[in-house]
Amino acid sequence: MGNLIWHEWSRYVSLTATVYTIWASFWGILYRKFFWDFVGGTLRAPGGLQPANNVAVFIDIIVKAPIVQILSMLLGFAIVALEYPAPFLKGTALYRSLVVRIVTLLLQAFLAILYYQGTNGAIWSLVAVIGYARAIALGETMEEAKENRGRGGKA
Amino acid sequence: MGENWFHREFLNPRRLVFNLFFYGVQLFLFAYGWYSQETNKKLAALNGLKWSVWTSRGAGLVLAFDGGMILVPMLRNIIRVVRPRLAWLFPADENIWFHRQVAYSMAFWAMVHTTAHYVNFFNVERTQVRAERALDIHYTQAGGITGHFMLLIMVLMYTTAHHKVRNQCFEAFWYTHHLAFFFMIGLYTHATGCFVRDSTNPDYIKTFPFYSTEHCLGYESWRFTIWPGIIYFGERIWREIRARRATRLSKVLVHPSGAMELRIVKPTFKYVAGQWLFIQVPDVSGWQWHPFTITSAPEDPYVSVHIRQVGDWTQALGERVGASPSVVAAMTQDAMKGKEKDDSLYGTRGNFVELDPARTTRPLPVVRIDGPYGAPAEDVFNVEVAVLVGAGIGVTPFASILKHIWYRQRKGNVGSLRRVEFFWVCRDAPSFGWFQSLLQEVEAAQADPNFLRINIYLTQKINEDMLWNIAVNDAGAEYDPLTLLRSRTMFGRPDWKSIYGRMRDAIETGQYLPGTNAQLKTRVGTYFCGPSVLAKAVKEACDATTTSNINFAFAKEHF
Repeated sequence: MGNLIWHEWSRYVSLTATVYTIWASFWGILYRKFFWDFVGGTLRAPGGLQPANNVAVFIDIIVKAPIVQILSMLLGFAIVALEYPAPFLKGTALYRSLVVRIVTLLLQAFLAILYYQGTNGAIWSLVAVIGYARAIALGETMEEAKENRGRGGKA
Repeated sequence: MGENWFHREFLNPRRLVFNLFFYGVQLFLFAYGWYSQETNKKLAALNGLKWSVWTSRGAGLVLAFDGGMILVPMLRNIIRVVRPRLAWLFPADENIWFHRQVAYSMAFWAMVHTTAHYVNFFNVERTQVRAERALDIHYTQAGGITGHFMLLIMVLMYTTAHHKVRNQCFEAFWYTHHLAFFFMIGLYTHATGCFVRDSTNPDYIKTFPFYSTEHCLGYESWRFTIWPGIIYFGERIWREIRARRATRLSKVLVHPSGAMELRIVKPTFKYVAGQWLFIQVPDVSGWQWHPFTITSAPEDPYVSVHIRQVGDWTQALGERVGASPSVVAAMTQDAMKGKEKDDSLYGTRGNFVELDPARTTRPLPVVRIDGPYGAPAEDVFNVEVAVLVGAGIGVTPFASILKHIWYRQRKGNVGSLRRVEFFWVCRDAPSFGWFQSLLQEVEAAQADPNFLRINIYLTQKINEDMLWNIAVNDAGAEYDPLTLLRSRTMFGRPDWKSIYGRMRDAIETGQYLPGTNAQLKTRVGTYFCGPSVLAKAVKEACDATTTSNINFAFAKEHF
């Protein structure tokens, strides 16, 4: 009953997840924490959770320098530009590709799950991925916009 | 849209009052929540977290308010009861609009609250003000678990409630929105983890609410916010019980234009003209309730709805009752071409066909109806002049109202109502054949030629053949060739400003309402049902025409 156009719904989820992730990455830069530091970490008072030595590389790129958060934020802005879409992307083949969306969202989920604030953004990105995958499975496509032929003022 | 955001939100007095009140209350609650946390000596340890805990507590209190308010506009039965008494205070017909405003606020404050808590738990772990990890608070304690679940539910509910998705697939919206049940459970139990406490460990007890209020110092907001939830739940159960009362589909009539008329007998169903109901046909779908306007008058011995087969549910229903889309489509085509026009005696359009249940192999399906629910047109008898404006399919509520006025007229009991102006703006009148036959009846029954005036505006483009046809048939004929009414059809869009202007002049000179003193205040009520663009034009005309003695009021119906 009814005809849900999955990729249109996924777009709303994707935008929500991405805006959330951008906001989360901003706070992730201010309050830096590796989400998975509890694995093998020890709790010390005072001092908090001390991560295990074998995750030192993540501590380097998340706590010492917020590289993951910055990447996540940049990717987030890129996804918003793709989804909203930004004027220069509108009507391009990139904009009409559902596969590109799945790939970028998966990447976003991967980056977001690494830092403390990003978990919800990651989960919601995966929800959007499921929606887009369903859209592809159902054979949905984003149609090329009709050219406005015969509109006045243009030769 | 010529007006900007500022104009709309602040220069409209009603909207200004609403904004000041609604957002004022929220800001006040936020400030109060912040202040009461910051100054609470018992929570000194928690206050070590500084601004983030003050923010989360303030936003939490606003969210409690929003969580309580979100269900209030959905208490349809209660709104229907209180509406006539409180219509002056708040626009009861804008309940969905208010529901959305609360939802937007809720999303905003949820963002504030969640952001603050992410900082809180980060600092709890860092400073070890409590011996636990941020992960524990997020994913093992009641507050964290319910919070994350509520956020996920909000994502699903908000995205499927987008008007585009709702129009594409109402079911996706309808079913997903029932996650509200789990959302509400999450909201009421959000504080049971006893995060706000003055003791080292949560002080759980064996009896309800399973934590001691001596040491768990939350706002206990669930004590208030749970009531709308309980009332709403009760309303849903009541609707279910009411829907199960004896209901019988007595007749299915197929009108020449393709509309199905279901005549339903349900003795317990009481309604007034202009209201609508939900209908469910278990044979078609066991869960879906579809809204339809009631087209019978309360005086009729049955409740009728007119259904056009446009969506898949309505088509499935047509299939089920034996008026399959192909049959009806053929009839619609015929009606559009005017084939059935049988000018022999009275110039009436072809009659409706009653589907004979004995002929078909299956008996008529079981139907259940739920309602009625309110609409502004109930107030029609409180004004001197009623202007009824229906556009396109929006004309349906007026079927009931016109019938009802007709019944009241026969009894000589029309309240203060002196005149009725009925406007029907539509693209192609023939496709609403069933409505025309109703109009014919009402028009023919008029004793006072001035009481009811029917104005039909046809907005479709007319080709040359049709033009000649009209020109030839119209001249000197008693009935209008298109609608077969005495009233003439007009072409093009109505000019509302001049219509209302002329009406005002006529009232002022005393021609319009004979016997009315010009000193008396005259109320002209406009009741509109149709697309919002047209609504705006009519409303503007109403506002522009209002003078000190003549009040042009406007009411719009929503679907």
